[in-house]
Amino acid sequence: MSKSENMKRASKGLIFGSDNPYAIEVKNLRKIYKGRKVIEEVKAVDGISFFINKGEIFGLLGPNGAGKTTTINILCGLLNQTEGDAFVGGYNIKKDLSKIKELIGVCPQQASVYQYLNAKENIKLFGNLHLVKKDIINERMEKFLELLGLAKASNRAAKKYSGGMLRQLNLIVALISDPPILFLDEPTVGMDARVRRTTWEFINSLKNTNKTVLLTTHYIEEAEALCDRVAIIDFGKLVALGPPKELIEKHNAKDLEGVFLKITGRRIMEGI
Amino acid sequence: MKRQRIFAFVKIQLQSLIKVPTALFIVLLLPVALILIFGFAFGSIYVEDYGWTGQSGYLFEFMVPGFIAISGLFMAIPVALSFSEDREQGLLKRINTTPTSAAEFMGSHVISNMIMAIIQVAIIFILTFLMGGMKLITLEGIILSFVIMVIFSLSTIGFGLITATISKSAKAAGGIVWIFLLPQQLLAANLYPLPPETQIVTMFMPLHYASDALTLLFYGVDLSNLRIWWDLMILVIFSLVLIVAGILLFKKYGRA
Repeated sequence: MSKSENMKRASKGLIFGSDNPYAIEVKNLRKIYKGRKVIEEVKAVDGISFFINKGEIFGLLGPNGAGKTTTINILCGLLNQTEGDAFVGGYNIKKDLSKIKELIGVCPQQASVYQYLNAKENIKLFGNLHLVKKDIINERMEKFLELLGLAKASNRAAKKYSGGMLRQLNLIVALISDPPILFLDEPTVGMDARVRRTTWEFINSLKNTNKTVLLTTHYIEEAEALCDRVAIIDFGKLVALGPPKELIEKHNAKDLEGVFLKITGRRIMEGI
Repeated sequence: MKRQRIFAFVKIQLQSLIKVPTALFIVLLLPVALILIFGFAFGSIYVEDYGWTGQSGYLFEFMVPGFIAISGLFMAIPVALSFSEDREQGLLKRINTTPTSAAEFMGSHVISNMIMAIIQVAIIFILTFLMGGMKLITLEGIILSFVIMVIFSLSTIGFGLITATISKSAKAAGGIVWIFLLPQQLLAANLYPLPPETQIVTMFMPLHYASDALTLLFYGVDLSNLRIWWDLMILVIFSLVLIVAGILLFKKYGRA
């Protein structure tokens, strides 16, 4: 990011806080859902620690219920952690949530857009919530709609979109504020192979804009294609961490799926 | 509080009135249908010595205040449904990840629903006038009735928010909201005479005060009548308590 751009961001509050060298840092994070009886206690996230460098695409892999979404929800301020610390953009999630919300864009697992609004209306709404100027919203919106192939359908109500189109709109909404940190929670689930490929290219292009991306996915090939480093979690615990190639070599596996199988004794896609 | 965020929310809420047929039906078409049906059914029945004022006129004229007040109740339904649907679709969570504050979010919804309420009341008043249901009321009375209805709508928005908080889904909200609405419609609308014992129950219903004040005004009672102002004062208190309770409950339990 250039100095002048940094100054502009700083004036809008879109700049990392403190001197934390990482975009995201997670320290011994724990989330326990307590039931009425002790036996019902669920450790959704069980003492995980990792950091994500600025400008890195970081993958969080794991089967359903592994704790991926819970981790993202804690980092976005939607859930309170039971124990541990986490910093997003150098800000503590417990103390500086309002500053964190100015830095992040979230693409949730569920395509969360207003169904009766069209793509443009949805995008404009979220741009306005981030206080982006009208002309900048329009400029970015047209660019993203074109890049993801949604331009022709942009005046159609979201309820008339296919699952894949909704997912793409979900992603654009997360990007409209040009956030330096992005949380993408299974952004391509339900997309057909062609749309998924387009979306991968789009996510990959974010590397050029120096964005930090935390991506969760079930798709091994997606993680291998996009991520600089991946963390594999299972039953809330971090079981492996590193660049995909390094992990594959280290565990003498064919792919990441093989790594997961070797470490946990089961497949990532099990139970989906 | 940032104007850009509030305007953005108000805009999409008002769009929902046009684009979501359910909202359009409940907020506008249902009250209009009510006035039209009862206007034609009772507009030609002349009654003498009616009610406690002992006035004479067409039956519809005496029923109109109750119908107008009931129309205000309907505002609770789209409020409860829209919040519950937004939660089901994960929109509340998503909005919660933006820098939007709870005050901006809730404030904008109260504003947009108040605008809807004003549109609703205006249409009902015009229709009632055209149907001949405003022969006894004075111009000052019409203006005060309008204010009373808008304040009353605020209390129903509060009911809507409370419903959205305690409902797990939009379907549930569609049913639960009637727990608040039906007793009021049956007991507090002044549509027909009820035994005095029911007054103890209706004292806790905002509709009672709205319909009582409207009845007085539509019967042509002078604005100096203290009962109108007493009704209005209690209505203001009810509305404030319900809207604040609705906002606080929704903020604490309803956003996730």
